[in-house]
Amino acid sequence: MATESRSNFWRRSAKVPGRLLPVYGCSLCRSSLSLCRSHKDTSKVNSLKAKKASSFHEFAHSTNDAWDLDDEEDEEPLRGPAPSATPPDVSVQTEGPRCDPEPSRRLQPGPDARRFQENKQHLNGKVGRSMSDARVSSSSAHTTTVQKQRALPVRPIIPLVARISDQNASGPPMAVRDKSRLDKFRLLLASPSTDLEELRKHSWSGIPREVRPITWRLLSGYLPTNRGRRELVLQRKREEYFAFIEQYYQSRTEEHYRDTHRQIHIDIPRTNPLIPLFQQPLVQEVFERILFIWAIRHPASGYVQGINDLVTPFFVVFLSEFVTEDVENFEMSALPLQTQRSIEADTFWCMSKLLDGIQDNYTFAQPGIQNKVKALEELVSRIDEDIHGHLLRCEVEYLQFAFRWMNNLLMRELPRCTIRLWDTYQAEAEGFSHFHLYVCAAFLLEWRKQILSTGDFQGLLMLLQNLPTIHWGNEEVGLLLAEAYRLKYMFADAPSHYRR
Amino acid sequence: MEAIWLYQFRLIVIGDSTVGKSCLIRRFTEGRFAQVSDPTVGVDFFSRLVEIEPGKRIKLQIWDTAGQERFRCRSITRAYYRNSVGGLLLFDITNRRSFQNVHDWLEEARSHVQPHSIVFLLVGHKCDLEAQRQVTRQEAEKLAGAYGMRYVETSARDAINVEHAFTELTRDIFALVRSGDITIQEGWEGVKSGFVPNVVHSSEEVTKSDRRCLC
Repeated sequence: MATESRSNFWRRSAKVPGRLLPVYGCSLCRSSLSLCRSHKDTSKVNSLKAKKASSFHEFAHSTNDAWDLDDEEDEEPLRGPAPSATPPDVSVQTEGPRCDPEPSRRLQPGPDARRFQENKQHLNGKVGRSMSDARVSSSSAHTTTVQKQRALPVRPIIPLVARISDQNASGPPMAVRDKSRLDKFRLLLASPSTDLEELRKHSWSGIPREVRPITWRLLSGYLPTNRGRRELVLQRKREEYFAFIEQYYQSRTEEHYRDTHRQIHIDIPRTNPLIPLFQQPLVQEVFERILFIWAIRHPASGYVQGINDLVTPFFVVFLSEFVTEDVENFEMSALPLQTQRSIEADTFWCMSKLLDGIQDNYTFAQPGIQNKVKALEELVSRIDEDIHGHLLRCEVEYLQFAFRWMNNLLMRELPRCTIRLWDTYQAEAEGFSHFHLYVCAAFLLEWRKQILSTGDFQGLLMLLQNLPTIHWGNEEVGLLLAEAYRLKYMFADAPSHYRR
Repeated sequence: MEAIWLYQFRLIVIGDSTVGKSCLIRRFTEGRFAQVSDPTVGVDFFSRLVEIEPGKRIKLQIWDTAGQERFRCRSITRAYYRNSVGGLLLFDITNRRSFQNVHDWLEEARSHVQPHSIVFLLVGHKCDLEAQRQVTRQEAEKLAGAYGMRYVETSARDAINVEHAFTELTRDIFALVRSGDITIQEGWEGVKSGFVPNVVHSSEEVTKSDRRCLC
C-alpha cells in the first residue's frame, strides 16, 4: 500500500513542486464563475491567481504594524515572518518534518473497534421559528417586505465534546480483540519503565478508555516513564498547582488581570453549554482557576478564546477515571475533595503541556495560526491542485475557514470525536503542532466533491464553515487520521512546504 | 440558481464579547434564536437577501467577529474591516461597559478601514431585558448622533427591530451608492454590482449609478 501510494505520489508530484499552477478554465469552473457574479471584466479572472497567491503576504503585511502597538507582553519578541516563538523546551524536538520509522505499521490505524453508541443527535432542539418581527412591521411606517429568497441552511449549535459517552465513559462490552489490545497497554504501563515509543505506537489507533487517563499523562510528558517515580511526581505537581492557586488566584481582581479574568469568566458558561456537567458551578470554578492560572503564567499569549475549549478533553478524560456511568450528567460534588483536586491539577498540567507546543498560536497577532494556515494552503496546492485552484478562483481564502480549525484544533468541527483525535495527536511526536496540519488537509479534501460542485464564494464559505460533521464519530475520525498519515508520509519530505 | 440582486454589500458586526452579535445575525439570517452558543472564533460568514423596495434586492454578506479584545487588534478581523461597506456596532443595553467601549470599537474600525469608510449603525441589543437596562436610550442616541450614526434597539430573543436594523443600514448604504458617494472599486469587496437581468433592470437611477461606479 505504501509503495503504491508512493509511486503515485512521485508520478504526480514530478510536475508539482515549485511550479506555477496554470489558470485553466474547466467547464465546471467556467459555469461556476458565471454563477458567482457577473464578471464584466474578464481580465480580472485571469489576474485572480496572481492576486490571491500573495494574499497571505498582504495579510501578514497588513498586520505587521500590530507589532508597533504598545504591548506589555513583549517578553517573547515575535517579529518577522518566521517567528521562533516556540518555547525553548519545545524547540529541542526534532526540527523539520520527520518521517516515520515504521510507516507500514501505522498505515492501518483501523477504525476504533469500540462501537460508539447510536447517534443521539442533540442538536439545538429549540428551533423557535421567527416571531417575524411583528412589532417592527406594525410600528414602522414603510412596511418592509423582506423575504428569504432561498432556504439557507440552519446551523446546528454543536455542543463541544458532545456525547462524551460515545468517546469515553461507557460503551458496549469489549470484543476479544479489544481485550488483547487492553492487555498490551496494561503490560506496557505496568513495566518498571514504560517504553514510550511502544506506547505511542499502540496509542496511535486509539487508546482503550480504561487506560486512557494514565496513557495521556504519560504521552503528554506529564508523568515520568519510570513507574516508581510516578506517584511522587504526581503528588509534587498537584501540590505545585495548588500553590499557584494559593499565590496567584486572588490577583484576578487586581486591575492588571481584571480583563483577563472577566473574559474567562464570561466564556466558561459558554463552553459546552448544552452539557449539564459543565453547567455545575463547581466545574466552572475548576475551569476558571485552570484558565486564569495558565493565562497569568503565560503573559505572552494570555487567555485567548479557544483555549477554554482545550481544557475540556483533559478534564473529561481524567474525570472518567472515577465515573463509570454517564459523565455528562455526573455531579462533580459527589467525588471526594482530594479526587476533585487531582483531576483539576492533572488537567492543568496536561493542558499546559499541550499549549507549550502551540503557544505561538495564541501570542500577539497569532503567528502560529497564520503560519499553519499558510502551510496548509501550500500543502493543499500540491496535493490537489483542482481544489486549490477552485478555492482561489472563487476568492476563498484559507484563513476564512481554517482559522478556527487551527485555533480550536478541529474541536468545533469534530465535537464527537475530539478525544479519539487527541489519542493520535498525543501518540504523534508533534501531533498538535505538526500532524494537525495533515489532518486539516485530509479534512478539507474529504469534502472534495462538494467543494468542486460549489461554484461561488458564498456557497463555499457556507459549506466550509458549516461542514456536516455532526454525526462523525470515532470511525470517521479513524479514517481521517489514516488519510492524514498517508499525506504526511507522502508529502513531509517534499521540499519546503512547511518551513519553521 | 443564484437569486437576483442589484448589489452585494459586505457588512461587519462588531462589539464586546457576549453583547449578542451572533444571536442577532442568526435571528436575521436563520430566523431563530439560540439560547446558547459557543463564543465565535475568528470570523463567521452569513448571508441573506433583503428587499429594500419592491423588486430591488440587495445581497448582504455579513461577517460575524469574535468580541474578545485580545483578538481585536491582533490579527484576523482587521482584514475584514477593509472590505466592508457597512457595520453594526453592538452593545448590550444591560452592560454599561460594552457601551463605554463603543468609542474604542469605532476607533479600531476607522484605523483599519482606510482608505474606505464604513457606514455604521449603533445597535443597543437585548432590549427585551428592560428591567436590567444600564444604558438609556437618550444617551445612546446622543452618542450615535455625535458619531453620525443612527441608533436602533434590538432583541434577537423577541425578534424586535432585527429586520429593521439590517434593512435601514442597507437602505442608507444603497442611497450612498446611488448618490455616488460610495463607488464600486476593483479590488474592494465592500460593494459589488449584482446579477441583474433585464426584467428587473428597469430603474433609471440604477443604470446611471452603475455607469458612474465603473469609471
